[in-house]
Amino acid sequence: MAAPGSCALWSYCGRGWSRAMRGCQLLGLRSSWPGDPLSARLLSQEKRAAETHFGFETVSEEEKGGKVYQVFESVAKKYDVMNDMMSLGIHRVWKDLLLWKMRPLPGTQLLDVAGGTGLAWVLGDAEELPFDDDKFDIYTIAFGIRNVTHIDQALQEAHRVLKPGGRFLCLEFSQVNNPLISRLYDLYSFQVIPVLGEVIAGDWKSYQYLVESIRRFPSQEEFKEMIEDAGFHKVTYKSLTSGIVAIHSGFKL
Amino acid sequence: MANLLRPVLRRLCGLPGLQRPAAEMPLRARSDGAGPLYSHHIPTSPLQKALLAAGSAAMALYNPYRHDMVAVLGETTGHRTLKVLRDQMRRDPEGAQILQERPRISTSTLDLGKLQSLPEGSLGREYLRFLDVNRVSPDTRAPTRFVDDEELAYVIQRYREVHDMLHTLLGMPTNILGEIVVKWFEAVQTGLPMCILGAFFGPIRLGTQSLQVLVSELIPWAIQNGRRAPCVLNLYYERRWEQSLRALREELGITAPPMHVQGLA
Repeated sequence: MAAPGSCALWSYCGRGWSRAMRGCQLLGLRSSWPGDPLSARLLSQEKRAAETHFGFETVSEEEKGGKVYQVFESVAKKYDVMNDMMSLGIHRVWKDLLLWKMRPLPGTQLLDVAGGTGLAWVLGDAEELPFDDDKFDIYTIAFGIRNVTHIDQALQEAHRVLKPGGRFLCLEFSQVNNPLISRLYDLYSFQVIPVLGEVIAGDWKSYQYLVESIRRFPSQEEFKEMIEDAGFHKVTYKSLTSGIVAIHSGFKL
Repeated sequence: MANLLRPVLRRLCGLPGLQRPAAEMPLRARSDGAGPLYSHHIPTSPLQKALLAAGSAAMALYNPYRHDMVAVLGETTGHRTLKVLRDQMRRDPEGAQILQERPRISTSTLDLGKLQSLPEGSLGREYLRFLDVNRVSPDTRAPTRFVDDEELAYVIQRYREVHDMLHTLLGMPTNILGEIVVKWFEAVQTGLPMCILGAFFGPIRLGTQSLQVLVSELIPWAIQNGRRAPCVLNLYYERRWEQSLRALREELGITAPPMHVQGLA
């Protein structure tokens, strides 16, 4: 997941965890970019003319992958600093909670997609994972699925590579449930975040995209339904920080 | 309480040119209503401009290599002053032509070969020498983004592109001392808040010897010349390449610097 060095995050959870994590086989998947020629061919021909959103802009589905790629190329250098500044360090708490929920044990086969600045990694496409069926015990994706062009495909892939009994966990920005907090959150998102991006990273547009893409992402309930549509069972979610983020969980039976 | 706050927030967070937004999105700074006025334009609310101004000032002080922050500071604080400058340009015949024709100074618009062939001592030749010696290029100027008026956006762009010309006119190199001297000249000439801030805060990192020289000799010289010379934005430099630098200096009333500032050949 996108935290500075998975080891650092594990020790955050206490020594017991770090011992447990060291026993896990952790694989991070970097760079979910559906723009490579193979996936372009596999994506059905009829979809070529289809349009989708890129933040508040409208772009063709083909374009979106490339544009998202550019955003993350651009933010990569200052990724961790910016995450800390924008969320005042709270993103670490969210990721902590995700790990707690996961309770990984030695021997757990874990796949973390859109791994950001994590450790041992494989390059791939979330909509077409380079892994066999039924391989992993846990699939996690933190702050990544929002950027995928075809979320349903990413969910289907997640289902495919999980072993029966395996668990899907997603940490993602969601919809705020409190009207006052929603106003403040909007104010902060649109007035402050792009300014932070410009001053710290010299990049307004990527951070404008960030806050817009959050607004485009389905609500907790809608996303739950999408996960169920991909074949997962016992789908639940937990909102954190008044719904600014939510952790969704589902099982492959 | 929310009802009192709402109109205030709308003004602070509203975009230039945006109609009263629907009840649903009063605080969304970015919406389809306010389109960009020119290429690279990013419309910003008053609150964003204030935050940008504060942030860019702090960052520029913290990391002097962030030239982009100096540019942002200029754009977010210069609106009123740019209007005055633009009006002044309109009243001057050469300035008015510049506003009309909007010349740009970049390697794509300059005929470097022609400049190279000009006689020694001409503006064009000396400008080229300045670029060479200081190893700078006219292409490093970032485009304007945060000015909400396309003519004023050009004025600040022109000011930026003319900056190197001022180095040549004043005989100042691009080291920190030379930059501060030019900033003082620009502050007096343009009144741009960013120039004034740069002129006062620039010397913060200087050693005492340099400071002494600056305060006793260079700044007074820069101020004097800044006040004496007509507005340097009114000069159509691209039509004056052949003019001798000395003659141009005389025309503007720019005297030789009180001492040789190290760096410029």
